[in-house]
Amino acid sequence: MDTPRVVVTGVGMMTPVGVGRDASWLSLLEGKNGIAPITLVEAEDLPSTIAGEVTDFVATDFLNRKDARRMDRFVHLAVAASDEALEQSGLDVHAEAEEIGCMIGSGIGGIGTLEDQFHVFFDKGASRVSPFLVPMFISDMAAGQVSIRTGARGPNVNTVSACASGADAIGTAFEVLRRGDAQAMITGGTDAGVTRMSVAAFAASRALSTGRNDDPEHASRPFDLERDGFILAEGAGTLILETLEHAQERGAPILAEMVGYGASADAFHVTQPSENGEGAARAMRVALEKADINASDVGYINAHGTSTPLNDKFETMSVKTVFGEAAGAIPISSSKSMIGHTLGAGGAIEAGVTIMSILDQRIHGTRNLIVPDPDCDLDYVPEGARDVPIEYAVSNSLGFGGHNSSLIFKRFSE
Amino acid sequence: MPREVVVTGLGMISPVGKNVADGWDSLVAGRSGIGTVTRFDASDYEHPIAGEVDDFDPADYVDAKLRRRIDISTAFAIASAQEAVADAGLEVNAERPGAVGVLLGTGIGGGHLMVEQQRILDEKGPRRVSPFLITSMLPDTATGLVAIALGARGPNFAVTAACATGGAAVGEAAETIARGEAEVMIAGGFEAPLQPIFYAGFNAMKALAVHEDPTQAVRPFDQDRNGFILGEGSGTLILESREHAEARGAEIYARWEGAATSNDAFDMVAAAEDGRGINEAMKRALDRADLTPARIDYINAHGTGTPLNDRVETRAIRDVFGEEADNVMVSSTKSMHGHMMGASGAVEAVICVLACKHGIAPPTINYTTPDPDCDLDYVPNVAREASIEYAMSTSVGLGGHNSALIFGRWGGD
Repeated sequence: MDTPRVVVTGVGMMTPVGVGRDASWLSLLEGKNGIAPITLVEAEDLPSTIAGEVTDFVATDFLNRKDARRMDRFVHLAVAASDEALEQSGLDVHAEAEEIGCMIGSGIGGIGTLEDQFHVFFDKGASRVSPFLVPMFISDMAAGQVSIRTGARGPNVNTVSACASGADAIGTAFEVLRRGDAQAMITGGTDAGVTRMSVAAFAASRALSTGRNDDPEHASRPFDLERDGFILAEGAGTLILETLEHAQERGAPILAEMVGYGASADAFHVTQPSENGEGAARAMRVALEKADINASDVGYINAHGTSTPLNDKFETMSVKTVFGEAAGAIPISSSKSMIGHTLGAGGAIEAGVTIMSILDQRIHGTRNLIVPDPDCDLDYVPEGARDVPIEYAVSNSLGFGGHNSSLIFKRFSE
Repeated sequence: MPREVVVTGLGMISPVGKNVADGWDSLVAGRSGIGTVTRFDASDYEHPIAGEVDDFDPADYVDAKLRRRIDISTAFAIASAQEAVADAGLEVNAERPGAVGVLLGTGIGGGHLMVEQQRILDEKGPRRVSPFLITSMLPDTATGLVAIALGARGPNFAVTAACATGGAAVGEAAETIARGEAEVMIAGGFEAPLQPIFYAGFNAMKALAVHEDPTQAVRPFDQDRNGFILGEGSGTLILESREHAEARGAEIYARWEGAATSNDAFDMVAAAEDGRGINEAMKRALDRADLTPARIDYINAHGTGTPLNDRVETRAIRDVFGEEADNVMVSSTKSMHGHMMGASGAVEAVICVLACKHGIAPPTINYTTPDPDCDLDYVPNVAREASIEYAMSTSVGLGGHNSALIFGRWGGD
């Protein structure tokens, strides 16, 4: 059996810069900021009081009240993004339920539900803890609920690799299709980590920006010399991946082809990236090998670009390691400069952004790159959106725990 | 062509034993590892029953500094990974660190530090929260730490699928080798659900078994079953390409034959009454292994001991196996080690590998009163010697997740 080609037929996005794919993409092209003071929880005493929230998102626009009550916000966001991607792809899940699977990654699952239930537990006792605590908290429930909602009965898991969770879900779904285990996959990532414990914990690990609480517009500044950490955000991104044959048979819109996935571990440190970005470079190389292309074929990189001092420096080094002298010629931008860091959703939202870039042959810029950093000396598209010819584009994700994951998409042609 | 994948090392920490040898002895002897909860003060519960790993001290496996920074679930994962790596005689080749990957799953992740940190957050403020809280609670910290300890730089992530986690992780890891992306994968599942808040959550679901004698509480397939019992621990398998294992002269336990996951697409808690989810996973795993149901000699069932699960699972086995269903041995080792959530599928995969190797099907204990709805050969109460060419492990989880794994006896061919 020949390995089937895999294409993208739907993209869904719920982000701090837009409720939905098109709204998010337009905002990114316009360089719009999605970071603002936290409203979802009391934040006055938190070390970081700003975040990227999907502000106009209303769960009951997508779910009935009873279902919505029994799902954490990370599932609400995933359900909404999946609805959008499915609608675009026109995939009829019920017609072939066994042939369609679901893999949606989440870095921290229903942490908001857990915090609420901790308070029930402390204040009212164990007997008052909700029977829905466990099913609302466990991080596989986005994949579970999307399956229940859509009827998809094929391969179904959640991948967790911290901030690379969404990318690894998409990569794993890609491999499921290539090995013939399904005809289509609903895949992506989701996280709703704007909670008190999550902000406090990321701040304590010294990864969050805490220096610009009074200037949210300029707080997320990937590759800028004055960056001081990432901005926590929430969101979800989903793709419909499908074998080319299946997509063509049903006359589906083909947005792009997926051609590569590489995953690696730094095996270095729990929270810091490996020296010189060696692990990230290896993930990119594996993905390039799988895509069977040269580094010089890549026309755009959507960077992990978190805005932490170490990540952006080492990621720059990793791109240089892989692309050599050509590195300076490749436009690279960070969606996190506008969206913030959506944790496990990041890789999936950015995969969606990468696909939109290929479709429009236009990329968004890196916002807030004002003061150049000599350690970050590549073309980060600081001026804003740019028209770029893209045949192949890479989306990188790097997570706590030393997880690295690289996805490669290609402009579709027969 | 997908490559052949073999099993060259095992690790198991469970309520029936702190290592593979002790655990297997207990299972073959039909000894229960279920007792009274001691991990936390559970005196408010009428029947505080659980499967705990006795005398587990993380300090036996990690240094003092790391011990303070990780959740006990992560310590379980590291401990069983160490046993499996040693068992396989695996050394990560410095020239090809990317050839070895790690894929460990957990259903819940680390929660022990969270309770304490929630109190600190509430009482002392967010600036007093531990810098290690994030890594202690993320479900993928164990995969990162095992990779760091070994220098394993290949594919690395966690998988979660509720109670089907362990099986899903082992299956995905095997596929990573089959498609040539790694030579060796350290694969498995781990869980430490015996925490006050999660115990309270499961208790509120009214899913936990109740019995005067804890050792008789889990009664899979028995007429008088009334729920499951939470267990803790970890199972790890060293999966390896056959080529790589033979080249380094590794001892081979069994062959990985196939795996699959599926979803009921029905309900977030209850299994579909017609067994339509788990039967899909079993059928797909058989397809992947290119085997007919008649070739399977032993099924290590999910068999939680809840009235619904055991009935649905029996129906699904009948559906997939047809007339052959009466000829296959089906046992639930959860009758002895309890429901280890995300660890279950991995521990039961270890048990299937051992069943193939030793030609012994471990029993379903506490089976005294047959249930007309559960009418298969459950290997009641006493282990059975039998040639086991192929063994299947099935897992079913909250959220409709299902997984099935198949291993084959290693005959050197």
